[in-house]
Amino acid sequence: MLKEQIENILLKVRNPSRYIGGELNSVVKDKNKVDVRFAFCFPDSYDVGMSHLGMKILYSLKNKRENFWCERVFAPWEDMEALMRENNIPLYALESLDPIREFDFIGFTVQYELCYTNILNMLDLAGLPVKAKDRTEDMPVVVAGGPCVCNPEPLVDFIDLFILGEGEEVNLELMDLYAGMKKRGCSKREFLAEAAKIEGIYVPSFYDVSYNNDGTVAAVLPNHPNATAKIRKRIIKDLDSIYYPESFVVPYCEIVHDRAVVEVLRGCIRGCRFCQAGFIYRPLREKSSETICSQTRSLCESTGYEEVSLSSLSTSDLSSIDETLIKLSEYTDGEKINLSLPSMRIDRFSNELMERLKAIRKSGLTFAPEAGTQRLRDVINKNITEDEIMRACRIAFEGGYTSVKLYFMMGLPTETDEDIIGIAELAEKIVDLYYQNPNRPKGRHVSISVSCATFVPKPFTPFEFEPQASAEEIDRRQKLLLGSIRSKKRINVSWHNYKVSILEAVLAKGDRRLGEVIYEAWKSGCKFDSWSEFYRYELWVKAFEKAGLDMDFYAYRKRSYDEVMPWQHLDYYISREFLIREHKKALNAETTPNCREKCSGCGISGVMGGACFGKD
Amino acid sequence: MEKIDVRAVFSKSGRAVFISHLDLQRTMQRALKRSGLPVWYSQGFNPHIYLNFPLALSLGISSRTEFMDFSVIEEIDFEKARERLDSVMPDGISVTELAKPVHKNQDIASAEYEMKFYGAAGEIFKALERMMSMETIEAEKHSKSKGIVTVDIRPHIEILNTEVCGDHLALTVRLPAGGALNINANVFADAFSRVSGIDFENVCIERTKILCKSGEKFI
Repeated sequence: MLKEQIENILLKVRNPSRYIGGELNSVVKDKNKVDVRFAFCFPDSYDVGMSHLGMKILYSLKNKRENFWCERVFAPWEDMEALMRENNIPLYALESLDPIREFDFIGFTVQYELCYTNILNMLDLAGLPVKAKDRTEDMPVVVAGGPCVCNPEPLVDFIDLFILGEGEEVNLELMDLYAGMKKRGCSKREFLAEAAKIEGIYVPSFYDVSYNNDGTVAAVLPNHPNATAKIRKRIIKDLDSIYYPESFVVPYCEIVHDRAVVEVLRGCIRGCRFCQAGFIYRPLREKSSETICSQTRSLCESTGYEEVSLSSLSTSDLSSIDETLIKLSEYTDGEKINLSLPSMRIDRFSNELMERLKAIRKSGLTFAPEAGTQRLRDVINKNITEDEIMRACRIAFEGGYTSVKLYFMMGLPTETDEDIIGIAELAEKIVDLYYQNPNRPKGRHVSISVSCATFVPKPFTPFEFEPQASAEEIDRRQKLLLGSIRSKKRINVSWHNYKVSILEAVLAKGDRRLGEVIYEAWKSGCKFDSWSEFYRYELWVKAFEKAGLDMDFYAYRKRSYDEVMPWQHLDYYISREFLIREHKKALNAETTPNCREKCSGCGISGVMGGACFGKD
Repeated sequence: MEKIDVRAVFSKSGRAVFISHLDLQRTMQRALKRSGLPVWYSQGFNPHIYLNFPLALSLGISSRTEFMDFSVIEEIDFEKARERLDSVMPDGISVTELAKPVHKNQDIASAEYEMKFYGAAGEIFKALERMMSMETIEAEKHSKSKGIVTVDIRPHIEILNTEVCGDHLALTVRLPAGGALNINANVFADAFSRVSGIDFENVCIERTKILCKSGEKFI
């Protein structure tokens, strides 16, 4: 038992309750009475991972099956990791406190590119070889899923199989298959061969990649009889009837999103051209307001949370949103539960919505115009006008708000200096709008914060062909933006670290050869790369040099329409023809109507057994 | 609105000893919410469940008797309510009694602890005797206003019982607690380790009683 050893070091670390489990609603079973043990790993800290909805869903779903036991594992913070290594405590799961190297499966959810080194570090902490080829028969099968798995190629050295798309059905199919084969004493290789037959399962070792002389991918070809040329993502057809947890594990320490969360829809109709989630989660599927209400009620009752949030890529696009909010607030108001609504579009912002938000003590409002001019907003298909932005701000100011946060991207395709200056001008107009309001709070000034992320082109978006803007160019545009702001006291500008964005671009669009770079970076000490206090760009640069690979090749190269992408064998139903069409329209600043208005022919239509919206 | 004060007595042990005081407040608010008891909410723009903890417990220490005050807006049957509250508590916390508060926070004067110092029990016992024969025992204590301060804890230590067991020394000790002067059991344990020069294999501390100036049990 590791329990005693763990308890002995816990008082020496920050927030020890993160490392000992025992939280309300966590599931403890008898390990001798289950067929399959699954260590669900989130490759980031407890506070971040415990906020993640996908993990909560799959955790409960697997544990609902009597013969499966799914436990939670997070990346220990620096202080805890040091003590674990010092005291020879291997990475353990929070429910049983058993070492995860004894489990049947180790599964990672991969939410962003900058957690890749944490995956290696967690495998190493578990006492396992990080590379799949070095792990033996008696070691767990290491699997991974999540949005980054739409291009998992940089991770293929470390993972035995990937799960593409939505996990509710395929995870159980995989575990059932495993349970049966385990009883028959099959080998891991035999299991992988059978698993490859399941839709949504990608076994990377069953494919060979060849390269052209210029370094681009020539072909990705199956080398195993069970491997199909294309691997399709999984889709849950009926969101209304699919399993949803009745309870969440309630942490003791504060986490990033410390509240009940009800997913109200999946997919997005908007088709913003920069947004990977908007394409890889298609098609749109909604829950009924009855389901949303009953799931809210059961989650709140079982957790005691005083806040519930309606979650999706774009909650205002829920067709029953008005009806749902009326019904829900009857319950939440009565129980003194706050209802929070992230991901609402600017064009849906209203007085009523604002009153609701004010009730949860939010200090300011956040809107995402994404680009500074109408032309550029048309390029990215944001489909929001300046009038709509101004209208939303006017409502906010008249409602007593004195601060607004605006999200923009910099380095978008076709971006010119005019677009950068447009960001400043838009912010200035909002400042002026505040002072035009005769009823503004006495003696209070307005505060506009402009947050600029660097645009990162992602696979399965119309911008996958686009290069990322160079460091020099981003630097110049940042200075231009700063210089264009007149109301320096009222407008505060901030941006993301470019050196993080470039690594994100490289890993997002990378190929198999990057496995060596990730390995070298981790070996040299990289971990928690998404945390600024840990990020060490210079180590990554060295890792690229050592592997003889060039970051520029991955990030700055414009890709032609006929280039074989490293992820081309993965099928997210989004056709290359559609992406090319959308890319061409983007360059002409032409918008595409949302899916409810008109089908854009992306390739997903028909997957549900008909058109997504009953027409076209 | 009617407002009736209730004092809950609970124990905290096992994995729950790693819940900090701040986290415990949130944990208890959620537990009260789950219990469905008619709890009183603070009035104002953002109502929340009113809670008061007469004496905080340090991280890592378990306890047989902790106290938490809340209010209800209608008469409740204490035993039935206790059962309900206990049934929604997380692992390691158990509600042992609900009662009408008799004493006030300021009445708390001392607390008793059972401590186990693991290692060579005989030597530890001798070290304790040596320490207790000293005139002053300097200890480092965190103070909210002054940061770390050095205080002489010797006059405040009351050893009630010692027992040499196989692999540990068991000790019952009474220390000042509450607003006027509070000496944390960890402060005592750290001082013992420093003065004796023994690096204990393990130290287990359990709070067993919270007492008033009069010597009667706080309730």
